[in-house]
Amino acid sequence: MGLKQIELTVNDFSHPFLVESDETLLFTLRNRLYLTGTKEGCNQGTCGSCTVLLDGKPVLSCMTPTLRCVEKKVITIEGISSGENLHPVQKYLVKNGGLQCGFCTPGVVMTAVPFLEENPDASRREIKEGLSGNLCRCTGYKKIIDALENAAAEMRS
Amino acid sequence: MKYFRPNSIDEYHELLVTLKETSMSILAGGTDLMPRWEPDKGLMPDVLIDIKKIDGLMGIRENEDEIIIGALTTIQDIKKSILMQNEFGSLSEAARQFAGVQIRHRATIGGNICNASPAGDILPGLYVHQANIQLIGPNGSRSIPISKFIIGPGKTMLEPGEIVSEIHLLRKGVKSLFYKLGLRQSMAIAVVNFAIAYQQDSNGAFTSLNIAAGSVAPTIVYLESFVDAIMSGVSLDEAIQHVDIDISPIDDIRATADYRSTALKNVLEYNFRHELHQGNE
Ligand SMILES: Cc1cc2nc3c(=O)[nH]c(=O)nc-3n(C[C@H](O)[C@H](O)[C@H](O)COP(=O)(O)OP(=O)(O)OC[C@H]3O[C@@H](n4cnc5c(N)ncnc54)[C@H](O)[C@@H]3O)c2cc1C
Ligand code: FES
Ligand code: FES
Repeated sequence: MGLKQIELTVNDFSHPFLVESDETLLFTLRNRLYLTGTKEGCNQGTCGSCTVLLDGKPVLSCMTPTLRCVEKKVITIEGISSGENLHPVQKYLVKNGGLQCGFCTPGVVMTAVPFLEENPDASRREIKEGLSGNLCRCTGYKKIIDALENAAAEMRS
Repeated sequence: MKYFRPNSIDEYHELLVTLKETSMSILAGGTDLMPRWEPDKGLMPDVLIDIKKIDGLMGIRENEDEIIIGALTTIQDIKKSILMQNEFGSLSEAARQFAGVQIRHRATIGGNICNASPAGDILPGLYVHQANIQLIGPNGSRSIPISKFIIGPGKTMLEPGEIVSEIHLLRKGVKSLFYKLGLRQSMAIAVVNFAIAYQQDSNGAFTSLNIAAGSVAPTIVYLESFVDAIMSGVSLDEAIQHVDIDISPIDDIRATADYRSTALKNVLEYNFRHELHQGNE
């Protein structure tokens, strides 16, 4: 296996390190950068818990070769709040009880943030559609959608 | 595994000449390829050629007669295209119902075609609009109709060294719709899917009709017998019985052959009554 030296920009910091040519961004984030907020659920593209932003777009890190992220900007859940100030999406997930075990939450946040930024007037139905790539085994989704509606209202104001 | 990322088609072909490895794979969005990799089982290719950076294969262009979609155009870009929504409704709708947003940002139209799944959601729309697939190889380029390009589950006419570069769609003013039945509403592989391209006169009678269905045969199939029956003027109830002549479904983990056949007939009938206003609504 060929180790390659690369530089990766994650949450606005550049990190030089060695990666295997077949490793996924999910593996790199969790095992080389110790950014364990990004969760590994299915490792198959079906659960959404590993969602991160690549140049601002939500993608599944379990299906993204790390070598493809060179010269791009990666944002993970660790880069979403500004210090202690939670993003509205995070704030209302907490306020509305939009999480129980919390395993799906980083992926939900990383999907919802760009979605609501692009669609601040999204209807409840559109929010559900926007989140259809994220599975949650605990909440039954209602409180997640409630939280995102409230977050959207705050993001509009 | 070795990883390469050519910037142009020429660079890609130069690379091919230098490679000695036997197993190699082209990587577009990776959403079909990557879930199949199981390093422990040796299922990784020796060489991976990432084509995402190759110039000029991304985006939707138009000229007077055609719409041309670059092979690396993502499903999300197709979903968002007003041009596609206005002129190729079935493709736009298939993109809308495709997986979740994260997958749509990565999955490409070229990948959906080359994966040649009997359930590929973009394919029925390409069949009914009689898309031509443009290929570029070391010895030049050629163009093949989609229904000839796909020859079996996972099998295409692609020769070694060739890649799909573009998809060409003729602008004939034909309307089309797409329907997908999955086991749940989103993130589901189709149990059956189909696209209908049609033109109707002012009385609602068809002046042209073309239907292609997925997940009911080894490849997408045209429902020719059913269409002939409809065009000959027999009732919808009678015509629908002809569907079984066109399909050859199998049992698999998602559904039985019987279920697929019944479901296809039911959802077809539903679309003919309620979307195309045929028979009694
Ligand atoms: C969670 C999940 C949900 C999904 N949902 C759907 C769905 O709703 N509907 C659906 O139809 N599919 C679905 N898929 C399957 C997949 O996303 C699509 O088939 C997608 O279009 C594949 O495109 P890609 O660019 O990711 O292909 P890749 O995985 O990169 O490539 C697929 C195959 O095509 C070859 N290839 C790709 N591009 C070219 C080219 N330009 N020239 C030559 N060869 C090429 C590759 O070598 C490979 O063999 C889903 C997959 C996952 C993981
Ligand atoms: S871990 Fe990536 S989608 Fe489930
Ligand atoms: S809170 Fe447990 S999976 Fe969503």
